[in-house]
Amino acid sequence: MVLCLLPLVVLATLAVLLGLGASAPPGRLDPAAAFGGPSALHPLGAGEAGIDLAAMVSAATLRGLALAISVALVGFVVGTPLGAAAALARGSFERFVARACDLLQAFPTFLFAMAVLSAVRHPTRLSLGVVFASTAWAPFARLALQQTAVLRGSAFVEAAFALGAGRARVVFLHLVPNLLGVVAVQLGSSAAAVLLGEAALSFVGFGPEDGVSLGQLLDQGVVAMLRDPSILVLGAVAITAASASLLVAGRAFAAGQAASRARPT
Amino acid sequence: MPGTTEIGGLLGALRAIVARALEASLVVLAVATAVFFALRLLPGDPAALVLGDHASEADRARVRASLGLDAPLGLQYLRFLGGLASLDLGPSLRRPALSALGMVGRALGPTSALAGLAVLLAAGIGIGAALQSVGPWLGARRVWVSRATELVAAVPLLAVAPVLTYLLAARARLVPLPGDPDSGVAGLAFASALLAVPLAAQLARVGRAALEDTARLPFLTVAAAKGGTPARVWLLHALPVSLGPLVVVIATQLGALLGGAVVLERLFERAGLGTLILEAYASRDLPVLEGAIVASGALFVASQMLAAAAHAAVDPRVRS
Repeated sequence: MVLCLLPLVVLATLAVLLGLGASAPPGRLDPAAAFGGPSALHPLGAGEAGIDLAAMVSAATLRGLALAISVALVGFVVGTPLGAAAALARGSFERFVARACDLLQAFPTFLFAMAVLSAVRHPTRLSLGVVFASTAWAPFARLALQQTAVLRGSAFVEAAFALGAGRARVVFLHLVPNLLGVVAVQLGSSAAAVLLGEAALSFVGFGPEDGVSLGQLLDQGVVAMLRDPSILVLGAVAITAASASLLVAGRAFAAGQAASRARPT
Repeated sequence: MPGTTEIGGLLGALRAIVARALEASLVVLAVATAVFFALRLLPGDPAALVLGDHASEADRARVRASLGLDAPLGLQYLRFLGGLASLDLGPSLRRPALSALGMVGRALGPTSALAGLAVLLAAGIGIGAALQSVGPWLGARRVWVSRATELVAAVPLLAVAPVLTYLLAARARLVPLPGDPDSGVAGLAFASALLAVPLAAQLARVGRAALEDTARLPFLTVAAAKGGTPARVWLLHALPVSLGPLVVVIATQLGALLGGAVVLERLFERAGLGTLILEAYASRDLPVLEGAIVASGALFVASQMLAAAAHAAVDPRVRS
């Protein structure tokens, strides 16, 4: 289970070390070195307008991972009690939440993000996070809703109500702890989707104003494709490694769930 | 009386179609409303967005008047909805000679072609891979098909598309660059194939699971016992029963497919809805931007309805 977190830890450590060893902050321009190959000053070479690629890939990976993990956690924290409460309430509230989840999960997040960001003059990483978080709760709520539909008839829920517990108490103290294992499985794929979404948005030009993003790196790679394909490969490898490490880290929770299921009760 | 039930069935089908169409137009209305209010209520004067911070007050007033921004918000909203209903959102801001929705209409074709061909290619490749990974043709080697599928599913399109473009189009020159207006069918096929890769991997995974479930049912044993060849058993008996989950996967992945189409259009600088949205965003061409986003929402809803109809056609169990 801990092994699943290893790729993420290794990647983050590599990025931190690369950032510490970099000669300049990720935004520093050094036009004389533009698109130059690796040198003592720029260990991974320099990109457009001479930005240091080592600093860029390190900062972009770390910020992308941080955004992805925080958005996934927000979705988890909001979606789980919402889904549980909806399934417990039954009736029209349950139908409403289920339908809203269907719509949000099927609707193109990418289009939604473009629609909202087009109204913001200078998108920041925070505005990207808010846009992603506004849809990220849906898969968690969906899972919590399905699982609560199974649990709501069980004896411990009935007992809690019989002892005089209110709805909020039953949701937060009795249902949510029983849902964590099932719902947490979604964390990895949600985080990976946010990471790729942020990279794709900044690739097409809706990215954060500071320009430090894996999508921007990939864009520079495409621009310089014929001159120096190494930037393109660097961007592609960084995006793949970051998204794969998040997916693998998500399996830590799936493994935990299998273990808790196997435990005799 | 068979006649009465037939009429009842027809009425039921009609009611279902009307309900679907109503729901679809509600979703499009919601998208239009969200775009309208996002562009007007979020901080920042749209006229300043269009002209930049340093424009004179007179210029801003002129742009506000041409966009109808001097009217009360409610009236603006009604005008916007009326414009959508009559398919006329006024001229583009950047190219005043062209109508905004005309530009959107011209962009709709290439994007639909790209996404449509990608769905067809992905269905072909995905179902083929699923059949190979459960059927008897490859023997023990069939595990490699599912391993390859898992690997492909883990690699994001965003990372793979530029690298493949560099290798196949820029270095080896096996395929033309799809952004080139002269690239024609070969360019479209290459772009669609790239877009099809993630969907094909997803279809292969789900298809394998569905076919494995079907394979346990007794009617396949009967078909094989009657002397059916493996091809006949899998293609004629097992596949049609397993199509339902595949259609559901296509329907749920359509949103991601549209997002992927925008990324590829940007990568290749190919004409289409994505390119139009990005251009309109960069130049703050509000009528075009609003029209293009509503049109992509409508395209998504329409394809979703097509998928639901296809699901009902291949699997009678979901008809209610």
